[in-house]
Amino acid sequence: MKKIILSILTVGVLTVQAQDTLSTIDRQALQNYQSLKPGKSKFMLRGYYHTGFENVAEGDESKNQFNFGKIAPILMYKQSDRLFIEAEFEGEFEDGKFQWGIEYANMSFVLNKYMTIRAGKFLLPFGTFMEKLHPAWINRLATRPLGFGHDGIAPTTDVGVELRGAFYSGSVKINYQAYVINGPQLKDGTNEPEEAGMLKFGYFEDNNIDKSVGGRIGVFPFSNGMLELGFSGLTGKVGADGSVYENVRANLYAIDFSLVRNVNFLKSMIDLKGQYNYSQISDANYIVPDDTTGLFYDFNNISNSYYVQLSIRPSMIDNEFLRKLELVGRYSSLQTPEGALWEQNPTQTALGLNYWFDWRTVLKLGYQTTDGLGEHDAPTPITQNMFYIHVAMGF
Amino acid sequence: MKRYIIILVVIGALVAGTSLNSCKTAAVISSKSGAQIWGETCIRCHNPADPATFSDLEWDVVAMHMQVRANLTPEETKKVIEFLQSAN
Ligand code: HEC
Repeated sequence: MKKIILSILTVGVLTVQAQDTLSTIDRQALQNYQSLKPGKSKFMLRGYYHTGFENVAEGDESKNQFNFGKIAPILMYKQSDRLFIEAEFEGEFEDGKFQWGIEYANMSFVLNKYMTIRAGKFLLPFGTFMEKLHPAWINRLATRPLGFGHDGIAPTTDVGVELRGAFYSGSVKINYQAYVINGPQLKDGTNEPEEAGMLKFGYFEDNNIDKSVGGRIGVFPFSNGMLELGFSGLTGKVGADGSVYENVRANLYAIDFSLVRNVNFLKSMIDLKGQYNYSQISDANYIVPDDTTGLFYDFNNISNSYYVQLSIRPSMIDNEFLRKLELVGRYSSLQTPEGALWEQNPTQTALGLNYWFDWRTVLKLGYQTTDGLGEHDAPTPITQNMFYIHVAMGF
Repeated sequence: MKRYIIILVVIGALVAGTSLNSCKTAAVISSKSGAQIWGETCIRCHNPADPATFSDLEWDVVAMHMQVRANLTPEETKKVIEFLQSAN
């Protein structure tokens, strides 16, 4: 009997001790957890990098080279459920020198369910290519369509404020963006006479007091969101105050579409996208270069460009290797004003075969041929052929 | 100046329009699961992100980034993020 009582007591004491120990552990764990518990604000560093090898043949000239590409670190900072900052830096070689630039840096404030206001330098929602599709791990080809990028007619980024958001009207989703920015600027030929009448985009100290305004409306006619149609516009004075060009205006328009669908009978994902850009700049007289008698010339300053891109990825078939492959085709065209020293009328066909290591890492093999390229001052059309192997990785 | 007024009017109209439709909004979104919104929405611009890529905390930041960049409504974002955080 004594033994039994003794063992009950022992078990009892041990249990109490064990509970004590357990609660000490619990308390410790809780303390640890609380010290690690995330606060409201969160910071994240990500970005992307791409690099590759290119063979470019133009007329009788041919170039073979490795290309550094671009490293683009992106900072994201969430201050609260309403406040957010994003900034993308871009490091690349320009004319043999490594340079850092800033692609965008802006802060967003969520006003309510339907409206977010942004201020700073942002990618302009002119169509979808620049704002939503150009990063190397998203763009399915290693190059941009004609009309975008260097000497392009489509706006890229600017500094200002933007209001954006989305709402449903029945089952139709509508998203909108409206902004006020410093605006594009007219190249009047002072620095580069052969580019007189072109627009430059990006951020520069503003050349006039007029601010440009623009926006985009995107509509999803189907409730599954597979199709989006977008309409964009941007207007503003582009000439410098106090110059003979001070009343020169630019009116830019774009139409874009996107159709993304899993097609069961093809066991593939189909992605069809396109954008049409139109640019109209008021007539102005530009100085004939290398002429000492003060002669002027003018032209009807209208440009347009478009691209259509189709990609197919057999993402639903059994073979794991084939599932990671993607075929891409893109056709694009650019027409710059007749009579301008930058007159050009090129068309481009680009084909690509991609291998996706994961959702944001891709090896791109591509071939592209561009007809009708012209030098600024000697518009004799030439053809450029390009082969490339690129790797791009979002991180 | 006229243009600024037009812009303000357009914005005003948008806001008025949205508040009129706010009841229906909930209906369209609430009929969809987070996984469905992810499958339909997150494939439009780039490949759908693997939920395992990020921690819950990181998804929280990415979600806000995408809410702004891809013009998602806060309800859509919330559903997708909850799905991603449960599947990572
Ligand atoms: C309208 C186009 C679009 C849609 C729709 C979209 N994304 Fe993105 N996403 C982008 C772009 C553009 C970037 C790259 C941002 C940059 O580099 O500036 C990106 C980047 C990302 C990244 C990398 C990290 C980051 O925040 O930059 C993740 C993860 C991501 N998206 C997840 C999603 C998810 C999840 C969805 C669905 C809710 C989604 N995306 C829908 C355009 C889109």
